[in-house]
Amino acid sequence: MAKYLIRRFVELVVTIFLIATATFFLLEAVPGDPLSERADKLPVQSREALYARYGLDKPVMERYLLTMGRMCKGDFGESFVYAGQTVGGLVRDRLPVSARLGLQQMILGVSVGLLLGILAAMKRGTIADYMVVGFSVLLISIPHLIFGLMLQKIFAGTLHWFPTIGWPAGKDLWFGGWEATVLPTLTGCFSYIAMYARLLKTSMLDVINQDYVLTAESKGLSKGTIIRKHILRNSFIPVMTQLPMSVGMCITGSFFIESIYSIPGIGQYYVTAVNNQDLSIVLGETVLLSILYVVILFLTDILYVAVDPRIALPGSK
Amino acid sequence: MLSQEKFRVVGYTQEEANRIERPTISYWQDAWRRLKKNPVAMTALVVLIFLIIMVIIGPHIRGYDYIAMNVVDKNQGSSAKYWFGTDNLGRDMFSRIWVGARASMLIALIATGLKLVVGTLYGAAMAHFGGWVDDILMRIIEVLNSLPHLLLTILIMMVLGNNLFALLVALSFTAWCSTARQTRGMIKQLKESEYVYAAEVLGASPLRIIVKHYVPNMLSILILEASTAIPGFIFTEAGLSFLGIGLTAPEISLGVLISQGQKTLDFYPSQLLYPCVVLCVIVMAFNLLGDGLRDALDPRLRQ
Repeated sequence: MAKYLIRRFVELVVTIFLIATATFFLLEAVPGDPLSERADKLPVQSREALYARYGLDKPVMERYLLTMGRMCKGDFGESFVYAGQTVGGLVRDRLPVSARLGLQQMILGVSVGLLLGILAAMKRGTIADYMVVGFSVLLISIPHLIFGLMLQKIFAGTLHWFPTIGWPAGKDLWFGGWEATVLPTLTGCFSYIAMYARLLKTSMLDVINQDYVLTAESKGLSKGTIIRKHILRNSFIPVMTQLPMSVGMCITGSFFIESIYSIPGIGQYYVTAVNNQDLSIVLGETVLLSILYVVILFLTDILYVAVDPRIALPGSK
Repeated sequence: MLSQEKFRVVGYTQEEANRIERPTISYWQDAWRRLKKNPVAMTALVVLIFLIIMVIIGPHIRGYDYIAMNVVDKNQGSSAKYWFGTDNLGRDMFSRIWVGARASMLIALIATGLKLVVGTLYGAAMAHFGGWVDDILMRIIEVLNSLPHLLLTILIMMVLGNNLFALLVALSFTAWCSTARQTRGMIKQLKESEYVYAAEVLGASPLRIIVKHYVPNMLSILILEASTAIPGFIFTEAGLSFLGIGLTAPEISLGVLISQGQKTLDFYPSQLLYPCVVLCVIVMAFNLLGDGLRDALDPRLRQ
């Protein structure tokens, strides 16, 4: 176990290092620099001072080493475009917004999806099954984008039930201000519903035909007990292993939704930062999100073992 | 008294006994037969063929040029003259939608082709060489996968400019990774199988093993990859163009049309509605056909 953890940790560090390097040089490869828009109208002397302030007067390799050195100490530096904006501040202000949006989508979407999946598997071949399957194909065939625009038009534009754009701030940041979050949450949750309904249905159908389910039935167990104790437990592995990936994606995966509903989340800012070639912000966000991603992959591996004792961690007995 | 002639075969010859009554059916014939029995998949196939025909001839049906402006007839709704109405410059939406759908479909198909070819070659190289080559190639995939795709896409579009070529590169830049992983797994598995051993022992050349054993065995997986990748690419293209990162006007794709339609959503919803419906129908047809193909091609799902 200890050996496995150490190996994973070394891999994590190497991967993060490669990602940071790749991000740095990719951004450097783009023609132009983040300051030119601000600096072009300035006299030569102020321009040089501005470039010197952000360290952009130094050659690429030197800046690379400096940036990496600072990053090791946890300092990603200040935004090139918005003075005073730091990665730390960004995470504090914007990450909660995206996280709440993502989590709300996931909690609603996954629970509804799992229920529909159980329904479809248990009532296989009936109207209910076909409706769930048809519904989920329909849902995955409509992009977030179109869903978002449609919901916005109908429920905010025509019916005025919910605000068109916006997001709770201040003390409502984590809890409260629900009416503004309804439409964005709905928009995002549909893909989870479709995905989890299909996933659970397929894996439950695998289990339903097993002999031990027949045994349980012939023992005279009630249907509810069979589903809970025998079918669900054994068909939950694909769902358990998909869940951490969903958590990882849900925090960052709402670019379109944030863009449609003007939600001040981390995704929208990321797009802006990349467009502005705001190196320090992009680098910081990329590295932080990658760490999150790699950690979640690691947790997935642990979960595999927790759910199914037959699977052993690689490198352990 | 038993004698030799009492044990004669009567009634049919050796040849007849060895004849196979029913025609032998290859894997592909069988898959096609299964697909034909699936009404949903066949409907999807018909819809797709119809869409492909429309994408080719659609822009010419009404006789309006898709970029010709007509200031008198701008922002019209559906009518006998303009089936899908006109946009804010008086351009015929019906023609524009099919031109846009053509671009979206072409982008998706080419990107899928690139993904499959690059992914298969890369995966085959990983499985074939193994050892440290495998390790390094795998690490590259891991790094590519953990970089945010949006970052790569935006950067590629910034370096190469907002054009079709750049979009294709951007879309397929990371997409091949999953194909490569799957191919690697498949070939590693196939390499250990008895019939490949047998072929090697019989002196088959590596090329023959690849063409006769690896490719046919992987083809069904690759077809499934393609059927899930195509709708994905259409989605991504639409999303990127909507965010202003993908194609931009005057180029036309469904994404561009949707982002233009969104600007007039409040007053002329039809300009958003029609491109959205066409996009959804295309994606749904591909998804349903993909589901049907999965049932037809995957031996494990057969009863």
